[in-house]
Amino acid sequence: MKKYILKRVAMSLATLLLITFVLFVLVRIMPGNPFPSERMSAEQIANKRAELGLDDPVLVQFSRYMANLAHGDFGKGTSLYYGAPIKTVLGQCISNSFRIGGLAIFIGTAVGLILGITAALNKGTFLDAFCTVFSILGVCVPGYVFLIFLQYFFSYKIPFFPYFFDSSRFLFSSVMPALSLSLFTMSTVARFTRNEMVEVMDSDYVHLAESKGMYGNMLVTRHILRNALIPIVTVLAPLIVDLLTGALVVEKIYGINGIGKLMVDSIAGEGVDYNYVLALGILYSALYIGIMLIVDILYGLLDPRIRVASSEGGDA
Amino acid sequence: MGKYMFSRRNFLKLAAATGSASMLAACGGGSSDGGSDAASATGDGIGVMLSTNVMSLDTDLATDGDSFEVIADCIDGLMQMDSDGAAIPALAETTDVSEDGCTWTFHLRDANWSNGTPVTANDFVFAWRRIVQNQGEYAYMMSDIGQIKNGPALAEAILAGEDADVSTLGVTAVDDKTLEVQLEVPVPYFDSLMYFPTFYPINEEFYNGLEDGTYGTSPDTFLSCGAFVLSDYTPGTASLTVTKNADYWNADSVSLPSINYQVVGSSDNALTAFKSNSLDVVMIGGNQVAAAEKDADLADKLVVTGAGYMWYLTFSQTEKNAQGGMLANQNLRLAFTNAIDREALVDNYVMDGSLATYTAVPPQFAASATTGEDFSADQDKFKDYIGYDVEKAQKYFEDAKKELGVDSFEFTLIFGNNEGDEVTKVAQAIKEQIEATLSGVTLNLQAMTKAERLDKMQEDNYDVALTRWGPDYADPMTYLGMWITNNSNNYGFWSNAEYDKIIADCTTGEYVSDYDARWAALYDAETLVMQEAVIAPLYTKANANLINPSVQGIEFHPVALNRVYKNTTVE
Amino acid sequence: MAETAYVPTKEDFELLTGRDITTDKNFASQSYWKGVAIHFLRNRRAMVGVFIVLAIILLAVFGPILSSYGYRDIVSYTDEAGKQVVAKGIAPQIGHAGDGPFDQYTFLFGTDDLGRDQWTRTWHGARVSLVIAFVTIIIDMIIGMSYGLISGYFGGAVDAVMQRIVEVANSVPRLVIVSVLAIFMPKGMGLVIVALLLTEWIGMSKIARAEMLRIKEQEYVLASRTLGAHSMHIIFKQILPNTIGPIITQVMFSIPTAIFTEAFLSFVGVGIMLPQCSIGSLIENGFNNITTLPYQILPPIIVLALQMLGFNFIGDGFREALAPKLEDM
Repeated sequence: MKKYILKRVAMSLATLLLITFVLFVLVRIMPGNPFPSERMSAEQIANKRAELGLDDPVLVQFSRYMANLAHGDFGKGTSLYYGAPIKTVLGQCISNSFRIGGLAIFIGTAVGLILGITAALNKGTFLDAFCTVFSILGVCVPGYVFLIFLQYFFSYKIPFFPYFFDSSRFLFSSVMPALSLSLFTMSTVARFTRNEMVEVMDSDYVHLAESKGMYGNMLVTRHILRNALIPIVTVLAPLIVDLLTGALVVEKIYGINGIGKLMVDSIAGEGVDYNYVLALGILYSALYIGIMLIVDILYGLLDPRIRVASSEGGDA
Repeated sequence: MGKYMFSRRNFLKLAAATGSASMLAACGGGSSDGGSDAASATGDGIGVMLSTNVMSLDTDLATDGDSFEVIADCIDGLMQMDSDGAAIPALAETTDVSEDGCTWTFHLRDANWSNGTPVTANDFVFAWRRIVQNQGEYAYMMSDIGQIKNGPALAEAILAGEDADVSTLGVTAVDDKTLEVQLEVPVPYFDSLMYFPTFYPINEEFYNGLEDGTYGTSPDTFLSCGAFVLSDYTPGTASLTVTKNADYWNADSVSLPSINYQVVGSSDNALTAFKSNSLDVVMIGGNQVAAAEKDADLADKLVVTGAGYMWYLTFSQTEKNAQGGMLANQNLRLAFTNAIDREALVDNYVMDGSLATYTAVPPQFAASATTGEDFSADQDKFKDYIGYDVEKAQKYFEDAKKELGVDSFEFTLIFGNNEGDEVTKVAQAIKEQIEATLSGVTLNLQAMTKAERLDKMQEDNYDVALTRWGPDYADPMTYLGMWITNNSNNYGFWSNAEYDKIIADCTTGEYVSDYDARWAALYDAETLVMQEAVIAPLYTKANANLINPSVQGIEFHPVALNRVYKNTTVE
Repeated sequence: MAETAYVPTKEDFELLTGRDITTDKNFASQSYWKGVAIHFLRNRRAMVGVFIVLAIILLAVFGPILSSYGYRDIVSYTDEAGKQVVAKGIAPQIGHAGDGPFDQYTFLFGTDDLGRDQWTRTWHGARVSLVIAFVTIIIDMIIGMSYGLISGYFGGAVDAVMQRIVEVANSVPRLVIVSVLAIFMPKGMGLVIVALLLTEWIGMSKIARAEMLRIKEQEYVLASRTLGAHSMHIIFKQILPNTIGPIITQVMFSIPTAIFTEAFLSFVGVGIMLPQCSIGSLIENGFNNITTLPYQILPPIIVLALQMLGFNFIGDGFREALAPKLEDM
């Protein structure tokens, strides 16, 4: 296992390098300017580009970027929060997005599992129908629409939660954005749990367990849920990455200084900020790759017959 | 993640604690629930909406109105704006201007930076040289606009990559309290430039003591000498706070204890934030203005202020665009500009009090220094060339078709999708208006980010663009200077020798010392722009603000600093 | 135990003769797909789903014709002073007598910000969203599923390479890819579909791969393999039917994501062109006025939710029909 993980980490680093390079090139092809300006002349802009070394061959630029990266230097913003080192901006955004996203993952997974299990155990009843409708609405109504309703009722009509995000009261002011962000995850998890459990509950080994006199929680957790978890974990993994990396509209509405808005602003804001796009791209990929590795390991733990680890060693 | 994990019990405890605290606040204070929210209830400051994030607090790098506003809260210039927008002394106690108008001497008053060191003439010299050296967005304030001695030459040399000694810039610290500025030519509005943040001072010693790139990125790396000090800020933040500067030279007249700025992304959200008392000053637009006007509670809190920006259409006249340069045809452009119902645009879609505009220089920002009359007060002066007149538009169109030998035209109108909801609406309405009036014209809409729109315009790769310009200083030249041959903002590539000559005469030539003659010449220049329909002015943007009635005395300006809080009081 | 094992000799065996081997009863054989169809058609919920989706398709095709306004027609009149007054932001209404300038007009869903009939625009927008939905289903079922199943089945180096490709494809922000693509191809629906093609299959491939990993070690696969079945036969004929549950659920959940992706791409200017609209862009527009004109966002959300409900019922019906072990049978 250890060998497998080491091997995967090495592969991940190579993948990350490839992604960084692809992004490095693509962002330079994109329309849009790293120095958007209505007042600077063409010479002024050319001067700024030269200062940043943007006229050098791409490979030269890339190796310089990687060398700086090795020292933990992501560079500075050019069209976004100009002049400030990216790591100072990024630190706060990561902290906010990870915490709110983490809360959303927790709420979404927990409530989603409960809903899904309840629906599956009461298949065909009103509860089941409710779960179906809830999960369909949950994916059709964007989370930010839900946030607006929360804000309208619980910050304005009944002023209980703060109207805007307030980092000094972190947890309290995270409740509404986390709830709205969790809606999609909640619906997805509920639906997958319900469908998987219904399928597993009908399988021979569950009938066998039942006939042996097993029932209740033991049956659900040990036999049914465990076998239903593989698709749930699979759909949950990318959702976790998405939630951790923030959501544009929710951040905009609730005044959260987070990664989602930063990412869109860096590509489709005042200009195209190469350094921000790269820094955020690396962050996103690292998270994605890392979580996919965890998922592959989890498969083996959930179902010992699955051997991603060993088969990847080449002995399949 | 581990660090931020919390147990369920702690979570409930915390929620309960904060919850009950805010309930108490709500009972005691009436409406607001405290925290970063406003303060109308607790009386410790005001909550103000920003429409975009503050991009930078460094005067060399900041380019947007919101950044300028916060900088101006914290740093004073030589001059400041009075409530009417006229320049009155700030850090400069007195000002002497030489007879030829080329030497300005500013005598500084005793004022301190927030670290206790006095503000000296050298702080200005350092800051201004830095602007010239870096040649950023507003460097042209030192050269083309301010005409500071050697400014234009230095800019040219630096951009050409030659050795340039910025110490030759015509600004010197005669002594600690005397700043002397030499100009290339007399600049009649030079004192009113001094309230523009580009001309603000930076303490050299403090700046040099900081790690590279960290100036203005936190309260610790930013020095204040203005009415407020920065107390809570990180780059990228959606909320920041400035608090009253007790050591401000004019601290006695500042009564506002603090301003909590909050970035609000949508007009609808701003309206609810105001209704919930979370913010005391917000800007709304479109349907929210209509809703507020109908709401008895809100209608009297609605204050419309000029925002300065003029939105206009620019037509590419070069061969490679618009079906082989069709828009180089003057009659076709005139047909377009006469087919647009500007009143319908502002009444139905912009709705925030913006003014339909029929002049190349928008109204209400540039008043004559001698007569006090607004340069563009008369919006009918070009009614021969611009207006909503279907018959006239069709006549121009017939002429254009004859001249060009073409019956149908298909152009693309580019516009920014991140420049406000009303822009998307206006673009669609213009399409419908033009296509309805000029049959044979198809105007395709192409939304893109503002960045891409600018890119396309700068590369001259567009047919028609919906764009805007905000005045940098209170003189018609801030608009008229754009249409000279080869100016980087002359996106239509229009060129007219007569026009170029008038503008040159007004900036560096014969009119510089004759204010009224210059004013008249500028009018001639504007006439040329309108006659040839170089651009199609649409509307001058206003802001529809909702202001808590207990907050009094916020000064609004269409130029340079949109909001000033030095005389603001809270009841 | 240590004794030498008994080795059977030829005499131990005798040929079985004279037994009637035709005693097995023969049922009227019906093909697998015919069975599926019968189960599906008998499923009442699935039929409700089909009805909803058909109704939406019919309304998307004919809805705009039922209204007297085109999707880009701005309803307005000119008052005595010569000012254009636009019928914008009107709540849903049926034409009636009244003093208001637009009282006698019928706007079943109200009007939008520009004074255009929301009914027409909603159904016009539903066309785009239906196309997106079907494209997503095809992308998921063809690319996503095959990719995941193949990657999971072969494992080892094949899986490693295929999964690294997924990581790269998923990590480059969609907005960057699309902006670059927009240089080479015209913006519009085609570009949106290409954008979806590039990344929309990833979620499905992950699900299919996980299912494959779980199932491929099961005895019947091993048996098939031992009997020399071809890999592709095992993957698509033997394993695929057993993975269909999560795959259908995943298809259903990727549709709204795709619809909102289209809305975002249109918003940033690479999707469909204004004044055209889609369900996603109508939701985004309605969102701008959500507390002031709340009825603007309702029609597109309701249409989307109904469409999803219909698709989900159909999906459930298919799953139950394809995997006849469920107790509904």
